[in-house]
Amino acid sequence: MYDTIIVGSGAAGLSAAVYAKRAALDFAVIEKEYLGTGQIAESERVDNYLGLYGESGYELGEKFRAHAEALGTTFIEGEVTEIIPENGGYRVVISDGNSFAAKTVVYAAGASHRRLDIKGEAEFSGRGVSYCAVCDGAFYKDKDAAVIGGGDTALGDALYLSKLARKVYLVHRRDTFRANKALQEQVLSKDNIETVLNAVPVEITGEKLVNGLRVNQSGTEKILSVNGVFAAVGTVPDSGVLKGIADMDGNGYIIAGEDCVTSAKGIFAAGDVRTKALRQVITAAADGANSILSVEKYLSENGGQIREN
Amino acid sequence: MAVRVNGENFEAEVLGADKAVIADFYSDSCVPCKRLSPVLAEIEEEYGGKVKLVKININFDAELAEKYEVQTVPTLVFFKNGAEASRQSGALKKADIVSEIDKL
Repeated sequence: MYDTIIVGSGAAGLSAAVYAKRAALDFAVIEKEYLGTGQIAESERVDNYLGLYGESGYELGEKFRAHAEALGTTFIEGEVTEIIPENGGYRVVISDGNSFAAKTVVYAAGASHRRLDIKGEAEFSGRGVSYCAVCDGAFYKDKDAAVIGGGDTALGDALYLSKLARKVYLVHRRDTFRANKALQEQVLSKDNIETVLNAVPVEITGEKLVNGLRVNQSGTEKILSVNGVFAAVGTVPDSGVLKGIADMDGNGYIIAGEDCVTSAKGIFAAGDVRTKALRQVITAAADGANSILSVEKYLSENGGQIREN
Repeated sequence: MAVRVNGENFEAEVLGADKAVIADFYSDSCVPCKRLSPVLAEIEEEYGGKVKLVKININFDAELAEKYEVQTVPTLVFFKNGAEASRQSGALKKADIVSEIDKL
């Protein structure tokens, strides 16, 4: 029986692994993606992680992983399908049917891209609709594209695409952006980025491939003629397996403070999946550290009540 | 090692190949593509007798991507007897690719 199972191999999970190793806990990391490093891998450039200015998200993620690997972390590939209370601890079941018993769980499964939920999105997914500008941007060289959203990711995507595409429309439902000011200034200085504010996307149109985005701008419908649509409208927490086990807020984030302690005894939530004000790679890494401190405290207080089998 | 193909040798290397071909459309900046590389290397080693693997860098060979209507990477297009048999996109697992090879 493990002292703890860490679910997720993004910044929170990998940081938890480093702290768990230093605390000499018996643990393993379960990851749904082979050699995963989480969402950070998709960021073209990270300018706000202390000490590693200007690193690409991919490289930063690889460094996190190399650190956890260097300390001898055990990784198990699989998607967690169930977490079942058992003998005072938990049994964690993964997609291939295998399961693992643990005294505690550090749940750091992160979040996934939020869908637009509009007509044409599913139909043209991979045929002009994308959730990863860094991946698919090259298809829009000298073409026109739209980015939907108003946060750091959306503005970062628009900037990235502006270097390739002829024209980039940045479509946002409000009249101000949530993204940090530095990014906003960069976006506004680009001649080939046109902001389309107070505009709600209604439909992605096309035949075999995308040819337009229909938006409702302050009550008036209009069609933006584009070859690609990039959705950057935030994320949804991957917390489904803890439904009925740990308390969540209305959006599905697991309720926990900085100590990562949830309403479920022995389950700790770390990273983007936890209720918090700022979801960034540096706060995820901090959660990883805090969660293991809470695991140690929990084990010293409750470890005696957990039966080995 | 998978051969890099482009518009000039695509016909000979892919359409005229003497066995089934997996064409891996990828881009330099794409993380799922990087993660797929070691998986494809294993596939090549284990199924090399049945399929040939080629790579198309869409940053350089955009016209091939356009011709085959590839708009996302990674995309694997499976060719048999000079025609497309099927395709898969996104973060693929080895089992997904093997099951597609079995159908060829």
